Amino acid sequence: MEALEMYTVDDRSDVYTEELKLNLGPQHPSTHGVLRVELSMDGEIITASRCDIGYLHRCAEKIGENVTYLQYTPYTDRMDYLASMNNNLAWSLTVEKLLGVEAPERAQWLRMICAELNRIASHLIAFGTYGIDIGANTPFFYAFRERESIMALLERPSGARMLYNYIQPGGLRRDVDENWVTDVLAFCDDFEKRWAEYNTLLSNNRIFIGRTANIGVIPQDVVYACGATGPVMRGSGIKWDLRRDVPYLKPYEEVDFDVPVGEGTHGTLGDCWDRYWVRMREMMESIRIIRQGCAALPGGEVMEKVMKKMYKTPLTPEAGEAYMRCENPRGELGFYVVAEGGTSPIRCRARAPSFCNLSLLDSLLPGTMIADAVAIIGSLDIVLGEVDR
Amino acid sequence: MGLLNNTLPDNKLVGAVDTAVGWGRKSSVWPMTFGIACCAIEMMAVFAATFDLDRFGAGIPRATPRQSDLIIVPGTVNAKMAVRVRRLYDQMAEPRYVIAMGACVCGGGPYVKWGYNTVKGVHKIIPVDIFVPGCPPRPEALMDGILKLREKIGREAVFARRNEANTQMNAKYDAVS
Amino acid sequence: MNEQQLHDKLRATGLGGIGELESSARDPFVVVEASVLLEVMAFLRDDSETAMEMLHNVTAVQRETGFDVVYHLCSYSRHHSLTLKVIVAQPEGEAGDWEPAVPSVASVYPSANWHEREQWDLLGVRFNDHPDFRRIILPEEWIGHPLRKDYVYPSTFGEIPLELDAIPLYERDENDPPKPSEPRPAGTPLTQPPSEYSTRPDAGGRAPAPEKKGES
Ligand code: SF4
Repeated sequence: MEALEMYTVDDRSDVYTEELKLNLGPQHPSTHGVLRVELSMDGEIITASRCDIGYLHRCAEKIGENVTYLQYTPYTDRMDYLASMNNNLAWSLTVEKLLGVEAPERAQWLRMICAELNRIASHLIAFGTYGIDIGANTPFFYAFRERESIMALLERPSGARMLYNYIQPGGLRRDVDENWVTDVLAFCDDFEKRWAEYNTLLSNNRIFIGRTANIGVIPQDVVYACGATGPVMRGSGIKWDLRRDVPYLKPYEEVDFDVPVGEGTHGTLGDCWDRYWVRMREMMESIRIIRQGCAALPGGEVMEKVMKKMYKTPLTPEAGEAYMRCENPRGELGFYVVAEGGTSPIRCRARAPSFCNLSLLDSLLPGTMIADAVAIIGSLDIVLGEVDR
Repeated sequence: MGLLNNTLPDNKLVGAVDTAVGWGRKSSVWPMTFGIACCAIEMMAVFAATFDLDRFGAGIPRATPRQSDLIIVPGTVNAKMAVRVRRLYDQMAEPRYVIAMGACVCGGGPYVKWGYNTVKGVHKIIPVDIFVPGCPPRPEALMDGILKLREKIGREAVFARRNEANTQMNAKYDAVS
Repeated sequence: MNEQQLHDKLRATGLGGIGELESSARDPFVVVEASVLLEVMAFLRDDSETAMEMLHNVTAVQRETGFDVVYHLCSYSRHHSLTLKVIVAQPEGEAGDWEPAVPSVASVYPSANWHEREQWDLLGVRFNDHPDFRRIILPEEWIGHPLRKDYVYPSTFGEIPLELDAIPLYERDENDPPKPSEPRPAGTPLTQPPSEYSTRPDAGGRAPAPEKKGES
């Protein structure tokens, strides 16, 4: 009996505890790739965490300094492989800024439609894998069903299923076929019904809300301090979207859409559920944008004549530098290119949104339970290809 | 004991056992949940609804190497990751099979020239059974690779998983690791 | 505010070492001295009219004469942005492995922490007074900074072979260890395309087809 009395809850000083080091990753089903986090545990509670990245470093910036501007487009695909269209777009806009040219009207509208389709595909993966992280396997299969339709749509003009290399400096590689717009609109109608299904499946599930509400709260000042952007920023209630505030494509000025922000529906503002819900509503906003884009799609060329001529030899922009920000599904992607007159830049830096969002993690994890760590990592929705480049 | 050392002459009994066990093995290949880069997304697509790998009995990805007998390496392996890939392979129990998925793990892919820290093909680190090229390979290609692997498993003798040359190679591999 | 007004505001603080506004560039930038960098950053962040809440990006650029460190600042409440540059010239007589140093701004903008570690890792630029200064992407034991123009590509990392024609680990003969490869000149890539691929097949560059054996 004496031994039992020793271990009462009130008197923890007698209980022998020891700090436990726990390795999460690099091969772990919930780290969305090859992230490694070193956790120090006190029982179930995390006391300190340290991210270790670099398991997918693929020398993208060095390659950028050695290949021509056009040859680099496929490498931008491979940075954020879930949103290749958006990456192509950001790179093309940067090179266009450097060259001082602009894509023709039709190319701009098609760019917007493709980028928004890819945004939906990317958020679908975030939705499906987040379900798996929390312990719900079914949403994954639903999400991939719709994703396949998007991939089939984007495959028709680009010829690739996932890494499209479709948007190029100066316009698009080729035009879409004549039935494409009709099929995109049919997909939009279909998707709205599916979206309602997802919400009954996961979003309003009591267990899911219990696992994500009030977990991993990110205050607004931490968002700014750590440089987090995209749904992480909007989930904390900051109404900012580059598409609306600094439109980098002309069509974004003309279409009408909302910027969803977190409202703390099930608890505190800026928790995991808010970030998840921002992503879900962004899919619907993208559908709205696509509908308007398809209605207003003008005719004409998809590649400037000037550019076609320029492509006969490798592009050689004048000396100078350009920084361009674009709103990717994960946040603001920035390309900083320094040219010195050659056929390839002398510095080609990508400011990856996942990289900055992930730097939040070390300050977010201490004090939470180990099971919540998985929910928090999943809600940041990182892609390791982009974190490491 | 003769059976273990594969010294029994080929006769009807051994042949029948081989066929039965081979059929059992090839129909329940358990892959490991292991994603590295872009190719992992296509691998996920193979597991998901449209392509449904469960039709071939390989649809339950296991989260730990100790429970799985197939490791699909999907995506670029770099110097930092190569050590981990080696360790994961070491932790798997025999018989174990490796599918190299994607141009990167078949021989460098887009990173072959300027990639200062990428390993130009995972076969430099671990022995590979099936190569599936493509950047990324289409899901059909990966499924084809898994079907080829099934054929290969079905043909194998029970106790000697690899032929003479491969056994020697494995012994050398064990000596290195 | 546009860049001109931001620059005027900066000049009005009376801090020395703030250069002219390069307004002819595509993204106008201001060159500041490393000694006043922290004060300038703190001012831009705290002043209610400039209100630069976020340090968007930190980049180091190697040029022939030295290094530039470029800071992209953004304001989310005021919708403007500004680029700051610190130029570190390479002193006379310094060798190629010279490491420039600038003050770390992680105390003003914590988001600089990882960016600065990355620049150190890839380009070898030191950031003084950084809270956690080590490599971030490459392993700790990596030699050199790969984005330097004179970087020598390694052929192995520890035991891991990095060359295309390396012998696989499990096929190595322990009695006959692979010879260390020739030191390569700086900047040469790891893999040269094989010469037989460099000519078109119809130009006679293809290897002769192997003779068929056993045909009778
Ligand atoms: S082969 Fe292509 S798709 Fe696969 S990992 Fe390599 S770059 Fe990515």
